[in-house]
Amino acid sequence: MDKLMDTVVLMLQGSEVTLEIFCVTLVLALPLGILAALGRLSKLRVLSRFMEFYIWLMRGTPLMLQLLFVYFALPMIGIMLPDMAAALLAFTLNYAAYFAEIFRAGIQSVPRGQYEAAKTLGMTYPQTMRRIILPQVIRMVLPPVSNETINLVKDTSLIYILAMNDLLRVARTIVQREFDMTPFVVAAVFYLAMTAVLTWGFKKLEAHYGKYAR
Amino acid sequence: MANTQDNVMIRMEDIHKSYGDVEVLKGIDIEVHRGEVLAIIGPSGSGKSTLLRCINRLEDITSGLVEIEGGTLASTKGDGTVEYAKEEDSRKLLGCMGMVFQQFNLFPHMTVLENLLEAPVHVKKRAKEAVLPEAMALLKKVGLEDRADYYPAQLSGGQQQRVAIARALCMKPDIMLFDEPTSALDPELTGEVLRTMRELAAEHMTMVVVTHEMNFAREAASHVIFMADGVIVEQGEPQEFFAHPKEERTRAFLNNML
Repeated sequence: MDKLMDTVVLMLQGSEVTLEIFCVTLVLALPLGILAALGRLSKLRVLSRFMEFYIWLMRGTPLMLQLLFVYFALPMIGIMLPDMAAALLAFTLNYAAYFAEIFRAGIQSVPRGQYEAAKTLGMTYPQTMRRIILPQVIRMVLPPVSNETINLVKDTSLIYILAMNDLLRVARTIVQREFDMTPFVVAAVFYLAMTAVLTWGFKKLEAHYGKYAR
Repeated sequence: MANTQDNVMIRMEDIHKSYGDVEVLKGIDIEVHRGEVLAIIGPSGSGKSTLLRCINRLEDITSGLVEIEGGTLASTKGDGTVEYAKEEDSRKLLGCMGMVFQQFNLFPHMTVLENLLEAPVHVKKRAKEAVLPEAMALLKKVGLEDRADYYPAQLSGGQQQRVAIARALCMKPDIMLFDEPTSALDPELTGEVLRTMRELAAEHMTMVVVTHEMNFAREAASHVIFMADGVIVEQGEPQEFFAHPKEERTRAFLNNML
């Protein structure tokens, strides 16, 4: 029993790294994703093309490769990042690209009449975006964003490759040392608990933002 | 506003509008005076909605002149290109016009009252407390004061359109533009919207109405324009226009409508 407690305590420490990556990535990647989507939809061709390229690059290569690149290749050109910062950079850039496409779809699904109504009421573009378009976009993108967010919980396990002690790596270390499979089960329970909280949270958000829809 | 002695609220001269190679407006002239209700009728694809949308710059003209209350919104320069008023002037000119759309275009994530308050509070930067009684008075006027806290999706089409009218009026426009305001409504709901519009007309609001409602054009308009294929075919006082249409094209259209 004590052994199980020790395992759980160690894994809670591992969860801290997992949660840190998860939270910071989400907080940075969501607004970046909105900006990238606006850039992608911009009438400025240069900007739109650049965003298209960025999204293609991020979605077209494995996240694992991006992590390795930031961690091992950037130092060769003199950019040396601490473990955590390197991981966060890769995760944020990667997830912002996926979020950008989700937000783009959301923005494009708002009827043109909403922009026209805002325009005839004298609203500027930033006002229209902030007060009219984005609140409607949020409601529409909640299900796909929820999907990506749950993916992110599990993708955090990729940082084992940077030798960071996240939940899964801690579990694996114990399994290899003790020759006992319990930590894997505990890890699964931890991940399931996190996704359960997220699922519940998104359900609440959907109810909140959906209250105006019939 | 600027020069309104002659009371010309909208003046459009030789308006042309093309999408690529397709010319949808082929030289239109209109003049709307203060308190006038101009009804624009015509078959689908005649360019009447496009013309209306050129007044408040939802569409840019290809050439011609647009003046709002004596201020120049758009003019054609010597080299044939169109020059629009600078951002600030343009904002001022467009600000004297409100618009009502065929699809209502209410903001679905806001309640009826929030829809009305949005622009006065966030565009004109007026205090919410000051706008609130005006907004409630307008809702009362359109018969929906008991729906202030409803969301648009909870209202019928006719109710939504009346809210849309109140929302536009809440910005205290001098001119109201209506783009087929009853075309998306069940016949039984058009009446309530037309009633609101008739009341506005009776209060001498300057209105430009693109419509398929011949009765409204006949009874509430002070001037009727019939458009087809991007030109004005015929125009006049509604009594004379409907009783004795001169052009063959007009007669064919009216026969189909009635």
